[in-house]
Amino acid sequence: MDWFTDPFLLGFQQRALIGGAIAGVMCAVVGTWLVLRGMSFFGDAFVHGVVPGIAAAVVLGVNPMLGAAVAAVVMVLAIEAINRSTRLGEDTAIGLLFVGMLALGVVIISQVDSYTGSLTAILFGDVLGITVSQLVQQAVLAAIIIIAATLLYRPLLALSLSEDKAKLLGMKPKQTHAVLLFLIAAAVIGSFQAVGTLLVFGLLIGPPATAALVARTVPAMMILAIVISLFSVWLGLVISYYADTSGSATMALIPVVLFFLTMIARRIRNMMVVAT
Amino acid sequence: MTALVEARDLTLSRGGRRVLGSASFTIEGRPAVTAVIGPNGSGKSTLLHALAGLISPDQGSIKVLGESPGRSGRVSYVLQSSAPPTNITPITVRETVRMGRYPAVGRWRRFSAEDRAVVEDALARMQLTDLADRHLHELSGGQRQRVFVAQGLAQPHDVLLLDEPLTGLDLVSARTIDDLIHERTEVATILTTHDLDEARMADSVILIGAGTVISAGPPAQVSTRAHLETAFGLGALHDWHGFLDEHHHD
Repeated sequence: MDWFTDPFLLGFQQRALIGGAIAGVMCAVVGTWLVLRGMSFFGDAFVHGVVPGIAAAVVLGVNPMLGAAVAAVVMVLAIEAINRSTRLGEDTAIGLLFVGMLALGVVIISQVDSYTGSLTAILFGDVLGITVSQLVQQAVLAAIIIIAATLLYRPLLALSLSEDKAKLLGMKPKQTHAVLLFLIAAAVIGSFQAVGTLLVFGLLIGPPATAALVARTVPAMMILAIVISLFSVWLGLVISYYADTSGSATMALIPVVLFFLTMIARRIRNMMVVAT
Repeated sequence: MTALVEARDLTLSRGGRRVLGSASFTIEGRPAVTAVIGPNGSGKSTLLHALAGLISPDQGSIKVLGESPGRSGRVSYVLQSSAPPTNITPITVRETVRMGRYPAVGRWRRFSAEDRAVVEDALARMQLTDLADRHLHELSGGQRQRVFVAQGLAQPHDVLLLDEPLTGLDLVSARTIDDLIHERTEVATILTTHDLDEARMADSVILIGAGTVISAGPPAQVSTRAHLETAFGLGALHDWHGFLDEHHHD
């Protein structure tokens, strides 16, 4: 029993578990809709797009969450502007912004003396350094995400078929898409302290993608994604404690491993069904 | 009686390209089946998009049952190739058909017994009851097309729009949808088609070509040699002998 409790005896370890768990829940709820809408690449670019905002906040000494929020708004507006003014396609616009914003973030953060440490914390997170006030901020964002995702279940489900179909069903796709972008931003902003901007994608897409392989309904997929997220955070921290690995990276690694294990198990099961 | 469709100087664009220009036509009364025909890329789907209110006219006006499309809530539109966006998605057939009730129940209202009955009836009409708990990605293309037609049936409507409903389907799916089109006389169905037999059996026809609506009305009025030559070109008329013969035009 000590094996399970020892990693969480100290205050900072308990805050890491709670902060990681809240991040996991936020990411699972939002990530479910990203996976259903086929927007995983968008989500990947988005989480990197907030790097310059956080970097600028570190340089200016303001709350990194505020910087991330500003960068998220810039990212969304830039994608929309490029889509309207060129015929290159959304993936090209997203790809360019992905690299551009990440590079800009590194350029900005390189202006501070503790360049390497700050950059590592932004990109890979510092789950063991989560404070109580950050937990409160996370909890507020999580509550907003859960309430919004619950209220917008039908519009989001219709939008997962297509924008035209959502409009035909009276579900206001443009407003729903805008809210979804806001929810992605909220999830990323509320999670980067725990797992970093590079690794938050693991929690955002890994659990919902794994859940999609086995769930029979969308609500079941969302609940299963939350369970996988919570398990990943717990197991990641336990492994990190005993193996002396990075807590954030280990947490982000677990759902990715689970995805591939589930995929292999599913394939083996299908082969056995065909064989019989 | 209010016209089913009334267009005045209608100009439509899609993807930045003008597709239809200065089209004026009327489909009088309440024909059970109206077929929209024309060459590939002539604007058949664009016209249906306008009838459903998905796009607005660049110029002119279009009305369905005397009202602007998209505002009346009287039109249900089954889009062409309504494929799910991802390969694996845990959205079931029943959940998809239930979405057809969203215009009636809104974002939050619970489904009533009547709503559930409408959904089950739509599933039964499209012979999907046994597949109701399957995922969309587990279905064939024809079965999936039936799911989206069932969704269209579940949606409250007086006019059903079907974009290429029979193209590329298996025999069972094509027959199930075709039977539906011709059995339901209580609502007006407007469909785009390349199938001349389907057009021949319609109560009215809208012929599109050369960037506009060439003619609209009863098949006998629309299917003249001159109209078809304008729409399809002189060389294409051998495909239309049956259609012309059926309506005894020179």
